Amino acid sequence: MVERWRLLDTGLNDAFYNMALDEAITVARSRNLVPNTVRFFRWEPSAVSIGYFQSMEDEVDLAACKRMGVDCVRRVTGGGAVYHDRDGELTYSLVVKEDHRLISRDILETYRVLCSGLVAGLRLLKVPAEFKPINDIVVDGKKISGNAQTRRFGVVHQHGTILRDVNPTLMFTLLKVPSEKIRDKLIKSVEERVTSINRYLGREVSFEELKAALKRGFEEAYRVELVPGNLTEFEERLASKLKAEKYSTREWNFKR
Amino acid sequence: MRRAAYKVEGGKLIKVQLEEKDGKVEKVRITGDFFLHPEDLIEEIERSLVGKALEEHSLASSIEALIKEKGATLLGASPKDIARCILMASEGGC
Repeated sequence: MVERWRLLDTGLNDAFYNMALDEAITVARSRNLVPNTVRFFRWEPSAVSIGYFQSMEDEVDLAACKRMGVDCVRRVTGGGAVYHDRDGELTYSLVVKEDHRLISRDILETYRVLCSGLVAGLRLLKVPAEFKPINDIVVDGKKISGNAQTRRFGVVHQHGTILRDVNPTLMFTLLKVPSEKIRDKLIKSVEERVTSINRYLGREVSFEELKAALKRGFEEAYRVELVPGNLTEFEERLASKLKAEKYSTREWNFKR
Repeated sequence: MRRAAYKVEGGKLIKVQLEEKDGKVEKVRITGDFFLHPEDLIEEIERSLVGKALEEHSLASSIEALIKEKGATLLGASPKDIARCILMASEGGC
């Protein structure tokens, strides 16, 4: 009997709800209200997320974000600032009990194991992806996916991005740069260090095709069956509350 | 308020904001794109450094001891790197 996990596709939502939903699913999992879960999601409007330890004012050009209608949110996970383009990026999250066979006490090892699902999915698309510690996935040495995880309430929560398309110039319009003089240099360096599925394959891969490949990749790498499901009422209600009381507040987003 | 930024070789970027008094930490904020599990230990680390002498070795040992005591994991930077960045802020910074 193959172990069954829940597969969610929550589509387009704003940054605050997206982050709130990750936490709501984590809480629901810790209370055994839901099974281990894989969730696909996207961002509308496009958004910038910053790592837990980053300073919003230091990292993000808030005026530029406002002008362009881009939301800004702090993540519960560490790592760097990420631009989540509505049409360029697919985001996933994994919510798995800490006592699961896939989860090790060693955080680096857990990254390797959980990222193996993404690597397998990308390879099904003929993108020869590889895991690169700490928590990146690269193709020909160029980053195509960034990942971050946290552990709370006995649950591992990992989320990450898969670049379908990438626009470094736009990214550096929204993120602060140390000085204008080096803006072009930074854009160029990102262009050299980052790639996307569409760019690598030289064709347009739809979100549906990408999600289908990742689903199979997760299933094969984790030896589970992903069963399409829905959010519970508990999760929806908690997510709305966490959006209002945490992720959309100045107190949270500007706390560091 | 003094500031410094330090890019760890092969690792992440640490940024420090420091207020000091009589060669001791009065207030410190450590930001950056590193990873620390559990995350909220960073606030405890910052508090634990208040009143400590601005001495690289002892700051690094304090951070390391607290991380060990809590069974925490710091990735992409080391306690030494954080201590070095605090000293950089103290010794010039901007």
